[in-house]
Amino acid sequence: MLFNSLQFLVFLPLVYIFYWFVFKKNLKYQNILIIVASYVFYGWWDWRFLFLILFSTVLDFYLGQQIYKNTENKKKTRYWLWLSVFFNIGLLGFFKYYNFFIDSFIDMFSAVGYEMKSTWTLRIILPVGISFYTFQTMSYSFDIYQKKLKPTKNFVAFAAFVAFFPQLVAGPIERASNLLSQITTKRIFKYNQSTDGLKLILWGFFKKLVIADSLAPIVDDIFANYGSYPASTLILGVCLFSFQLYGDFSGYSDIAIGTAKLFGIELLSNFKFPYFSRNVAEFWKRWHVSLSNWFKYYIYIPMGGSTGSKLKSLRNVMVVFLISGLWHGANWTFVVWGAIHSVLYIPVFLMNDNRKYVNTVIAENSWLPSFKEVGQVLLTFILVSFSYIFFRSLTITDAFSYIVQIKTNFWYETYMHPLGYRMLDFYVLLAVFIIYEYIIRTDERSPFKFKNPVVRFLLYAIIIMSILLFYDDGVNRSFIYFQF
Amino acid sequence: MKKLILKSILYIFLILLFVEVTIRILHLYTEDPPRFIDDFGVEKRVPGHTGYSVTGNRNQNYSKFSINKSGFNSYREFTPTASKFEIALVGDSFIEGFHQDFDTSTGKKIEEQLPNKEVYEYGYAGYDFSNQIHLINAYKKDFDLIDEIVVYLNYEYDLDRGTYEPDYDRIKMLSSTTFKIRDNIKILAYGSKIGILEPLKRLVSGKPIEDEEQDFKNIDEKTSDEAEQRTIDLQRIENFKSLIGLFGFDKTKTALLLDSRKTSQLFLDYCDQNNIDIIDFGENFKNSKKPPTLIYDEHWNNHGRDLIALSISNYVKTKRHLN
Repeated sequence: MLFNSLQFLVFLPLVYIFYWFVFKKNLKYQNILIIVASYVFYGWWDWRFLFLILFSTVLDFYLGQQIYKNTENKKKTRYWLWLSVFFNIGLLGFFKYYNFFIDSFIDMFSAVGYEMKSTWTLRIILPVGISFYTFQTMSYSFDIYQKKLKPTKNFVAFAAFVAFFPQLVAGPIERASNLLSQITTKRIFKYNQSTDGLKLILWGFFKKLVIADSLAPIVDDIFANYGSYPASTLILGVCLFSFQLYGDFSGYSDIAIGTAKLFGIELLSNFKFPYFSRNVAEFWKRWHVSLSNWFKYYIYIPMGGSTGSKLKSLRNVMVVFLISGLWHGANWTFVVWGAIHSVLYIPVFLMNDNRKYVNTVIAENSWLPSFKEVGQVLLTFILVSFSYIFFRSLTITDAFSYIVQIKTNFWYETYMHPLGYRMLDFYVLLAVFIIYEYIIRTDERSPFKFKNPVVRFLLYAIIIMSILLFYDDGVNRSFIYFQF
Repeated sequence: MKKLILKSILYIFLILLFVEVTIRILHLYTEDPPRFIDDFGVEKRVPGHTGYSVTGNRNQNYSKFSINKSGFNSYREFTPTASKFEIALVGDSFIEGFHQDFDTSTGKKIEEQLPNKEVYEYGYAGYDFSNQIHLINAYKKDFDLIDEIVVYLNYEYDLDRGTYEPDYDRIKMLSSTTFKIRDNIKILAYGSKIGILEPLKRLVSGKPIEDEEQDFKNIDEKTSDEAEQRTIDLQRIENFKSLIGLFGFDKTKTALLLDSRKTSQLFLDYCDQNNIDIIDFGENFKNSKKPPTLIYDEHWNNHGRDLIALSISNYVKTKRHLN
């Protein structure tokens, strides 16, 4: 079920009414409702893959107990942890990477002159959200192993933690220490939490339906026909894709966080205005934060993080970025995308600038940013957007051809919208969006933090109006990150 | 909780009000003059209505219409006499011309090319050949006085039936309370136009909500097979024969306006063998350096109407030996 569908518009109020009116007094019933609702939400897409979620749930619930039971015995506890990793990565590996590795293997052999038939490839459907929920369940095992968490004995609560529908298919990837503890605790209805949730949902819909969906046809056209466009259009295509991706994924995260708030649950922030980052390190503290943290806590730090020699630290950074790239999709384009980010990150890391902008925001104490900050933000945006050429292209060849095309067709030509719309509408829309994001840049969880209620009301109304003005019923409405 | 629910209801109401007012102020909704079926069984508009037709979410195309006393969108009244030279254009939405200001229509452009001639545009969205040929027969008194008749034939869509029956049910549905409410509440009219209410409509009509691509697939599949296409073409020719048999077809003053690129060769051959005049605008469109159709739909833009007017006026000039 998509957040931006009629089904969800009916589904959400129904679950909400049952949650707060019918099962208000019983935590267990509330959690059972979460499980049922989540399974309906997921099963709407394909009920057969519910068994995978159930399998993952039962397995990690059991393995969590075993890891904890054997804490005193390092060897045994490690064995149970590896078993959890093996099964979760096994699931992911089979459904997401099996064909990729087989094809890569065949390609590798054909490159050295040995032709192989692709008889091993299978017709596998990628279960939506598998990368998200397997990482979430693995975090549970890791946290127990690292003694940061005691395993729950409450299977219902654990199943609700794994399947919690607002973040089941595209995150934020929650750590058990944050989400599970809330699920095992009685939730109390809070007026402010609910209104904050509704505001985030509205803002998320704006980002998805207005920004991402209205840019999608333009980006699709440019990337599909890159061979016939000049550099100006190709650069425009990459920049617009940056905003499409941001609107799509951060919009989803906002709707997820807002929906969770309606049920009295606080999810982690996932996007913190990443395009106002002053270097690539800051970008990764603001972009897909829950995934970055996952890699940091469960791969980077266990590998030694930055505590060892510089060379070891660099190795750790590169490994994390390469795995992050592969996590995004079973395609070499994503691996190269990850590699590019590691290359961009390394100079920042070597100059010890990776922690320079941890808790600050652009123009921290002033209305306008300094020239230096503007330059830093633009440079970071350009570098990140460049990497998106690989992220968006279907193959490595396409990505390189796209870059070559920019170089060889280096001239300007006015771009016409593929459906004939005025491009000016979209430029104005983007400019207003960037300015508004700049205004609210200090708090990603409060997009309408204005004291005057009339201003707030006008903003809500303008957003609804803009959804109508930019609605296009011909656009594919699914979320980009569903494919991951 | 009570506060949240009450406040949400209040906000929803106020926001809907804001949107309704904005849509009205910016005239984002389109107007659709009421329709009826007259005593002759001809479906047309209720005379005397004026307004604006709007295309796209953001007023991408905005044009004025004016329904004359005969019930058609036109800058002039239809008063044929034996002493004047009149040309009738009969067709669907392309001739009705809600996508253009009514005073820049194809008919107006023909009159500019052919001074002292009057052009009557009998256009109505949804007309097919059976509507058109029936209309000419129903208004025989007028058409006997008209000197030239040009029937716009969109071959792919206009020959799917061989008889004519006035669609009273459709008119009844369009004048039902539901449609009146939709037309008067502009947020509904606008929402319906941009397609945002489509899932809701599908739900109400019992269709699957996410089945939008199916209709397009059927159209593609319909024309994929050559043998099947020939059967369709033959059936269309049969329908054409049946209709002209029923309502008559004065070959001396009637011509078909069509795009040969989108018309079957079988049909073109049939017209040739039966001495039916054709005004083919396909070549003009093909050779045009500027696009002849609108950006947002397939209707003729100003340049396209210039080309159509040129094709028709050249035909009339040649046929009537005019300078």
